[in-house]
Amino acid sequence: MAHQNSQGIQTLLEAEKEAAKIVQKARQYRVQRLKDARTEAAKEIEELKAQRNTDFQEFEAEHAGNSDQSFAKLNAETDAKLAAIQTAFDNNKNAVMEKLLAAVTTVEPKVHTNVKVPE
Amino acid sequence: MSHHTRALNDEEVLNEMKKMVAFINQEAIEKAREIKVKADEEFNIEKAKLVRQESNNIEATYQRKIKQAEIQKKITQSNVINKSRLKLLQARQQYLEEVFNETVSQLIKVPQDNVKYRDILKNLILQGLYQLMDEQVKVIVKKSDVDLANNAIQAASQNYKETTKRDIIVEIDKENNLPDDSAGGVILTSHFGRIRINNTLEERLVLAQEELLPEIRVLLFGHSPNRKHFH
Repeated sequence: MAHQNSQGIQTLLEAEKEAAKIVQKARQYRVQRLKDARTEAAKEIEELKAQRNTDFQEFEAEHAGNSDQSFAKLNAETDAKLAAIQTAFDNNKNAVMEKLLAAVTTVEPKVHTNVKVPE
Repeated sequence: MSHHTRALNDEEVLNEMKKMVAFINQEAIEKAREIKVKADEEFNIEKAKLVRQESNNIEATYQRKIKQAEIQKKITQSNVINKSRLKLLQARQQYLEEVFNETVSQLIKVPQDNVKYRDILKNLILQGLYQLMDEQVKVIVKKSDVDLANNAIQAASQNYKETTKRDIIVEIDKENNLPDDSAGGVILTSHFGRIRINNTLEERLVLAQEELLPEIRVLLFGHSPNRKHFH
């Protein structure tokens, strides 16, 4: 009877041991899962970054193109305005010189208003 | 002896053992399953949390980058516009100077018409006399203008005396002359040279340029399209 008991207890202890192993495995699985969460999250994040980066570079390329265009347009406008200034100058130069010379050579002597002239 | 309290035989003991072992095993499996299910849940939650956090950061970073790029673009644009404006302003300024310089060289031709020039001299002198209102005035002229100047002085003095009813002595300054490369005109002095009136052609041109500058700009380049206020 005593021998049976101890054998029985042995069996139960082994069953507990096995059970503990099963639970332990599950716990290890849990630990691994948490690590996996981190590594998989990191992977997804890298993908997001790469995607965002590509989007941004497309955006930049488009805008660089735009600003090149407007830069060229502005240059063309400036050159046109410069040409207009040149033309205006050529057309009006003589009129201006005449005006200035007239101002120099037209003299109007005037007595100061405060001067009292005896009758 | 009752049926319940009979001791179990070997087979029954074995069965009970098997049942207990199975029970222990079953409990372990269920517990393990619970743990695994929870672990998967936590996996999902944790992963989503990490991804969300970082993706917010990433978004913020790129928003900032975009804003930076836009600001930079605006700055560049503004610089380019400024450069263009400066270019135009410089061009206009250069043309203005060109006009003035050419006018200066035209001044030399003025004395070529003797009759007109003598009249101009007379008026220049008279204008000076009216400003000085002094009794004794000296006139500085070019050496080549001395004869014409004497004539002009006569006429001017006459005019002065008639208009102001005052006497005056106007003489050519024998010790000082305008430089030979001057275009012409006169400098008048009184009070032993302490008061000077510069009525040379060059000086008058400078004054004319200053006074007429706004008009000249409009004449030369037209009205400014941007101007909003006029007095």
